[in-house]
Amino acid sequence: MARLTVEHVARIEGHGNITVGVENGEVREVRMDVVEPARFFESMVVGRRFDEAPLITSRICGICSPNHVVTSIKAIEAALGVEVSERTKILRTLLVYGSYLQNHATHLYILAAPDYVGLPSVFPLAASMPEVVERALRLKKLGNDLTTAVGGRAVHPVSAVVGGFTQEPKPEVLASYRDMLLGVVDDALATVELFASFQVPDFATAGEMLALTADDDYAIYDGDTAAMDAGWRRPAGEYRSFVTEGIVGHSNAKHSTVDGRPFLVGSVARANINSDQLNDAGRAALARSGITLPTRNTFHMNVLQAVELADASARCAGYVERLMEMGGSSAPEPFRIRAGEGGSATEAPRGTLYHSYAIDDDGLITRGDVITPTAQNLANIEADMRAFAPTVADRSEAEFALLIEELVRAYDPCLSCSVH
Amino acid sequence: MAPRVVVLSLASDFGCQVQLSNMTDEILDVLGVIDLGYWQLASSGHMPTEYDVAIIEGAVTTDEHLELLRDVRQTAAVVIAMGACANTGGIPGLANLVDLDERYTVVYGSGSALKVAPGKRAPMPLDEFIHVDYHVPGCPIDTSEFLRVLSHVLLGMKDRVPNLTMCASCKLNQTVCFFDRGQLCLGLVTRAGCGARCPSLNRPCTGCRGVAPDANLESARTIIVAAGHRADALENGLRIYNTSQEVRG
Repeated sequence: MARLTVEHVARIEGHGNITVGVENGEVREVRMDVVEPARFFESMVVGRRFDEAPLITSRICGICSPNHVVTSIKAIEAALGVEVSERTKILRTLLVYGSYLQNHATHLYILAAPDYVGLPSVFPLAASMPEVVERALRLKKLGNDLTTAVGGRAVHPVSAVVGGFTQEPKPEVLASYRDMLLGVVDDALATVELFASFQVPDFATAGEMLALTADDDYAIYDGDTAAMDAGWRRPAGEYRSFVTEGIVGHSNAKHSTVDGRPFLVGSVARANINSDQLNDAGRAALARSGITLPTRNTFHMNVLQAVELADASARCAGYVERLMEMGGSSAPEPFRIRAGEGGSATEAPRGTLYHSYAIDDDGLITRGDVITPTAQNLANIEADMRAFAPTVADRSEAEFALLIEELVRAYDPCLSCSVH
Repeated sequence: MAPRVVVLSLASDFGCQVQLSNMTDEILDVLGVIDLGYWQLASSGHMPTEYDVAIIEGAVTTDEHLELLRDVRQTAAVVIAMGACANTGGIPGLANLVDLDERYTVVYGSGSALKVAPGKRAPMPLDEFIHVDYHVPGCPIDTSEFLRVLSHVLLGMKDRVPNLTMCASCKLNQTVCFFDRGQLCLGLVTRAGCGARCPSLNRPCTGCRGVAPDANLESARTIIVAAGHRADALENGLRIYNTSQEVRG
């Protein structure tokens, strides 16, 4: 029997163990044990003031904290009926995209790439392939710097609040980012080529795919939730009516289904559903990736993240230009505290992130709910392992282990996020 | 010989480890002066049995964490507590305010069949259980402060975490006091050392670096009430990152 147990899987965010057992071509067991302990965020926010929710829930995840901040703020605003300026929306979009550049660069180069070059970590490459490591650090740094310029800090941004921003980057700082963003489009294209050169298994996931979608943009900051196979499109803030969460005994993170099926969120789902919205840089990157959309191959998550890097760099340069031309203010809009309920979503680097809250007359939170991308993906990760393991069970023990870990890592799982 | 360093995490959001990986200008230089023995986030290399320096992120929330922590203290000559969770219990500690069973019910529903991660404990910082040699507080850590502390470790210098309150930093930055603008700010009692980043971005301090040894809590309460805020505003605000102080009494 080919059996694999990996405890505290490396190069993923959070703590998880994988167990896969295959006997005579049949899968005996498949488990992704999420041992990361729960920190009970949904109970923590109860009784706290509404404006503390973004600060508290940001600490669900240090890797995609800008998404938690923005999604939480949007849900609170939905509950309180706060409308924000166009300028604020664009700044928030840049805040989220800064997190994309940082996250995708980290996932691709630091977490995933070592698998494909046969190393335990990316650091030895600094001596043998310095240009690759320098490119990785350049992309990561630009993402962090963009988030810092807009939000005041790369991890747990400070200046984004309910209603707007407490501080904005100076015009000359903004202008410098337009040039820097255009400057990394080539780095992103080189990243696409690097990952397109890595051999990945021919595999098709059976899961449904979900992503935000919008008529006029590659939806990141806002949009409806779309289901690729079922073909429906629903208001994202009402996610509790279509994403079903359930408890499984071996995981501190809940598992999710939609229409009774496991589903996938992240770059593959986004690119499939929103391929028409890719910009020129994104299309050029897609052409170099060698992938035809739609794809059901989970392993394409990596190279499609790289395609998104190209799209995002050019798109953000455009957003910066609009900010420089448009004028207007991002100062927090005045609003009245009232009782209400609201939900919202953004696309985090790993997939759709949902937050919702109920607030009482005094502005205190009475209910909080968060569904993270990895929590949505967990059931599909296990389904993929179950389908994929028998097809590679005849490989050597080391190869079998590497392939299964590559599959899991392609999801870019964030386990502390998934449990929260 | 370069000291062997391991990076470990307990209950946290990995944000401080992300900050380490975000030292894009310095990380290769740092790796040149240490022997990186283990870092789960960035390498699939295994945890060594011998090492000199342990950098620990996260709060202790399970028996397994506690066991690991005591093992590490036996092995490492130097332990660095990294971030709010490790230094004050941080955000995970906020769960201390809700009964453990109720926490499970809010998150997982009643009658849940959850079996993993037994040995759940009230979230606590590292120095509740072991001696900590160096402290890098904050949520998340400030990377320049981390680099300074790491250099102190490598040079054998003492831990020099500031005892002053944030007000000292705001004075240096010439930031107009939030109390003068009618807003509550916890910088009044919070440990300095981050350069007062949030106040300089127009947002009051939320106390993520813990209460400063030099803080005068009684007079802070007087000022807060005199400014028209509720009598429990200081305690309630500090709870976000600092419940472990209440639990300890």
